[in-house]
Amino acid sequence: MSNMEQLELPYLVKLQVFEGPLDLLLQLIKKNKVDIYDIPISKITEQYLEYLEVIKQCNLEVVGDYLALAAQLSLIKSRMLLPQIESEEEVEDPRAELVQLLLEYERYKDAAEDLENRDILGKEVFIRGLSYFDEFGDAAQETEIVKTDLWSLVDAFKEVCIRRQFELTEDLVFTVESFSIEEKTNELLEFFKTNEKYAFKNIFNKMNSKAEIVITFLTILELVKNELIGIKHENPEDEIELFYIGEEDLEQ
Amino acid sequence: MSNKDLKKLIEAIIFTSNKPVTIKELKFYFKDFETKELRSVLKELITEWDNAEHGFNLVEVSNGYQLRTKAEFSDEIVNFNKEIKKFRISKASLEVLAIAAYKQPLTRLEIEQIRGVDCSGVINQLLDKRLLDIRGRKDVPGKPFLYGTTDEFLETFNLKSIKDLPTLKEIEDMEPELKLDF
Repeated sequence: MSNMEQLELPYLVKLQVFEGPLDLLLQLIKKNKVDIYDIPISKITEQYLEYLEVIKQCNLEVVGDYLALAAQLSLIKSRMLLPQIESEEEVEDPRAELVQLLLEYERYKDAAEDLENRDILGKEVFIRGLSYFDEFGDAAQETEIVKTDLWSLVDAFKEVCIRRQFELTEDLVFTVESFSIEEKTNELLEFFKTNEKYAFKNIFNKMNSKAEIVITFLTILELVKNELIGIKHENPEDEIELFYIGEEDLEQ
Repeated sequence: MSNKDLKKLIEAIIFTSNKPVTIKELKFYFKDFETKELRSVLKELITEWDNAEHGFNLVEVSNGYQLRTKAEFSDEIVNFNKEIKKFRISKASLEVLAIAAYKQPLTRLEIEQIRGVDCSGVINQLLDKRLLDIRGRKDVPGKPFLYGTTDEFLETFNLKSIKDLPTLKEIEDMEPELKLDF
C-alpha cells in the first residue's frame, strides 16, 4: 500500500480513537466481522499496514509501537504460508500468542469502559465544595493526617544532608559511633510526647554524625509506618512537620 | 446517647466531612456503641436519603460514607456553578487504571505489555492526580516501581472498596476454543 491518495479522510479521523496497536488490530477485527480465534491474517495485516502508512504520515511519535506489531503480523503471515510438515507433535497455531495478547487487552479495555460508565466524582456526581482535586490544602484539613509521598520526605532528607555536609567539613574528629534504631525509637518517642509537633528538618539540628542522621531518618520512617508519629505536609512549599500519635491510639 | 441522637450526629459529621467517613473513624469516636449499631444507623440514613425527594444520596464509597449529588443533575450543577470544572479522563488513563486496579501491585512494563504502548506519561499523570501510587519496588533486575490504585481512585469511581470491582471475564475459560486445527 504505497499510494496515499487511495486513503480516504475517514482514516485520519478514526486514527484519533486508537489507544495503541492492539486496539487498532481489535477494531480491524471487529470492522471485518471476523472471528478473533480465526483471524484472516493476510487480509488484516494488509489493512493494518494501510493504517500504519497514515500514522507515519502524521509523524506520530507512537509509530514505533505500531511497527513492532506490524513485524509480528508479517511474521505470522509468513508462518501461515509455510507448508505443514506431517508430524506427530501438535503444531501450535502461529496466531495463538497474538490472540492471547488481544484477548488480554480486550478484557482490560472492557474493564476501562466499565470504569468510565460509573458515576464518576466530579463528572456525574459531586460532593460539597468545588472541583474535587482542588480540595487539597483546604483549611478543613488542618488536623488531618495528610498523605505525603515518600519522595517529598526523601527530598527533605537530602536537603538536610547537603546542609550538614558544609558545616561538618570544619572540624574532623574521629569517634566510635554506635546508634541503633531501637535507641533512637525511644529517644524520638520521648521527644515527641513533649513536643506537639516539630519541623522535620530541625530534628537533625543537634546531630553531628552522618550515621546518626541516617539512623534517625530510618527511625522516623519506622515510627510513621507503625503509626506512632504522623507526618503533616499541607502545601508543597510548607515545612514537613512531624507529630505524635502515640501508642494508646493504636490500641483502638 | 440515644440511637436517634446518634443518627443525627453521624449525619452532621458526614455532612461536614470532605472525605468519606469510615466506620473505623466513627467507632473510634463513639466508643460506647458497637460497630453493628453504627452500621445499622448508617443503613437507616442511606434508606432515608434514598426514599426522600432530595438532590443527593448518602453513598457508601472508599470504605466510608459520603453525601453525593444524584447523577441526573450533573449537567445543571455544572451549568449553575461555572467554577466547577468537570473531571475529564482519557481512554488511555482509564485503561491504565483498569489494569492497575485488577493486577496491582504491578510495574510499568507489565502495564505496557498489556496495552502494547508506552505508558510512562499516563502513569505520571495518574500519580500526580493521586489515582495511582507507588507501592514499592519489584525484586527483579532494575528494581522497578510497583504501582497500585489509591483511596482517591475508589472515591473517583464510586467504588466501595477494590473488591467492589466487577469480576473480569476470564481468558482461561475461553482457552478450549483456542485449540485450532489447520
